[in-house]
Amino acid sequence: MTARARGYADPILAGVALGVLLFLTFLLVGRGLGASGAFASASAAAAHAVAPASTATHPYLSDYVPSGPAGLLGDWTVVELLAVAAGAWASARLARRAPVPLTSIAGESPRSRLVLALVGGSLMGAGARLAHGCTSGLGLTGGALLATGAWLFIPVAFGSAFLVAYLQRRLAGARR
Amino acid sequence: MIAPFFDGSPALTAVPIGFAFGATLERAGLGSARTIADQLTGRDFTVVKVMFSCIVTAMLLVFWADRLGWLDLTRVALPTTDVLPQLAGSVLFGAGFALASLCPGTACVAAAVGARDGLVTIGGLFLGTLLTGELWPRLGGLAVHAVRDDARLPGDLGLSTGVVVALIVGAALLTFWIAGRIEGAGGRTEPGPRAPWQGPLATAAAVLALLAAATGSSRLPGLGQLQAIAGDVDHETDHVDALTLAQWIHDRHRHLRILDVRDGLAFDDYRIPGAEDVPVQQIPTLSIAASDTLVIYSDGGGHAAQAWMLLRLRGVPHAYILRDGLEAWEEDVLAPRVPFGADSATLARFASIKSLSAYFGGRPSTAPAILGVRDTTGSVAQSPPKRRKTC
Repeated sequence: MTARARGYADPILAGVALGVLLFLTFLLVGRGLGASGAFASASAAAAHAVAPASTATHPYLSDYVPSGPAGLLGDWTVVELLAVAAGAWASARLARRAPVPLTSIAGESPRSRLVLALVGGSLMGAGARLAHGCTSGLGLTGGALLATGAWLFIPVAFGSAFLVAYLQRRLAGARR
Repeated sequence: MIAPFFDGSPALTAVPIGFAFGATLERAGLGSARTIADQLTGRDFTVVKVMFSCIVTAMLLVFWADRLGWLDLTRVALPTTDVLPQLAGSVLFGAGFALASLCPGTACVAAAVGARDGLVTIGGLFLGTLLTGELWPRLGGLAVHAVRDDARLPGDLGLSTGVVVALIVGAALLTFWIAGRIEGAGGRTEPGPRAPWQGPLATAAAVLALLAAATGSSRLPGLGQLQAIAGDVDHETDHVDALTLAQWIHDRHRHLRILDVRDGLAFDDYRIPGAEDVPVQQIPTLSIAASDTLVIYSDGGGHAAQAWMLLRLRGVPHAYILRDGLEAWEEDVLAPRVPFGADSATLARFASIKSLSAYFGGRPSTAPAILGVRDTTGSVAQSPPKRRKTC
């Protein structure tokens, strides 16, 4: 199936639109787009709700506990990411795309798909903390601002992803 | 007024920007893990095309907005660089990206359009984030090695910004061309006619990039940055007075760093509590975190002002000169005096200055006469101690 046959936009035009949006974000707010930062703030807030004392003194988590009167909703990236979900939902409805309850990927049973999603999500959560960002906050934002760290992240993360995807295919082939 | 226009409060901006971000990702097909899985098997280049064209577009706009003085780049948050943890994190992140076939942003998109694997990926993200945060203190050099909050490719490569911009645009155009060949050869995409906008868009990017390389041959800071620095001087937001600094130290201001730019002998003689000995020569390479609030002082303020200018040109946003330098510290904090004929309001204010002064071992005087200047040991010196004056 091609991207166009699924009714999606041309990837380069979508990327240009995303680039204009990213630039507007720099211009308006003085920061870029992000995602993993919201998970850090939300995790710290959750930890703080469960164990306030140990989180408040924790050398890492305490930095992410929301301090303002609005709590978690005072965090720019958290609000932005909630709006991302709303925007995605609206876009899919407008395009009349039927919801896919579980993505089917060649060589993966529904159960292994969910296990891989959980393991992959955890690895990304850990990796994004160590790398100081993810594909959005470090890759796109840092890439456009020429941050050195972003230009380390992009090739290394994609290199690692291509390698793991290749090993996964080899493994699946061997099993079959 | 020079952009950025709003502070980081989410009320006005986060909702429309996030909404547009989510809608664009969905429209590009990135809400489906399948698009990303196809990218990683090399059958479809949607992910690479979206990312690279986004970066190139924003990068060119930022470069030219900075050149034309519309954007003060020093007020745009730059992602951190810390090479070793970042390499480890990138390897982990890439592995997780391949397994989940989603990234943190697109996992939210997938979940929003109803995919359960998107929701489970979000669960995994929370798990990994929390575990890493919890283990952080035990990770040592793997977590924090050499953090640089102002590391940019041009500085690290020794090239002008314009040349780096041009190289990246060139790499992107080459990648798009190769991706088109692979997609065509794989037979996964119907060849179709070349879209009419492709040529003009690529030409525009190439022209803007070549112009950037030509104008960017000097490594001067952008006009926006220079105007922002000039504005700080005009609006007197470039300095703090001695009492404010004393209050900050007293209140244990969390990110405060005090830089003493006098020579080392003068520093050994006397320094403001907590100050670091930083000769002006070390200012260009001084390691500074984005959250640091820097206060610079010298004897009178000349050297401090020059060091401040260097820091602002480096792109350090929160730097202040101690007004009238160490002389003001001695007069206003260590040996404050009530002015002649003070009214009750002044006397009330003097009471709080007195306790602040006592905190630093000073000896405030209510007698409006010269008693003496404090030396480092806290005893009254009848004649001012001889300090080595620099500037």
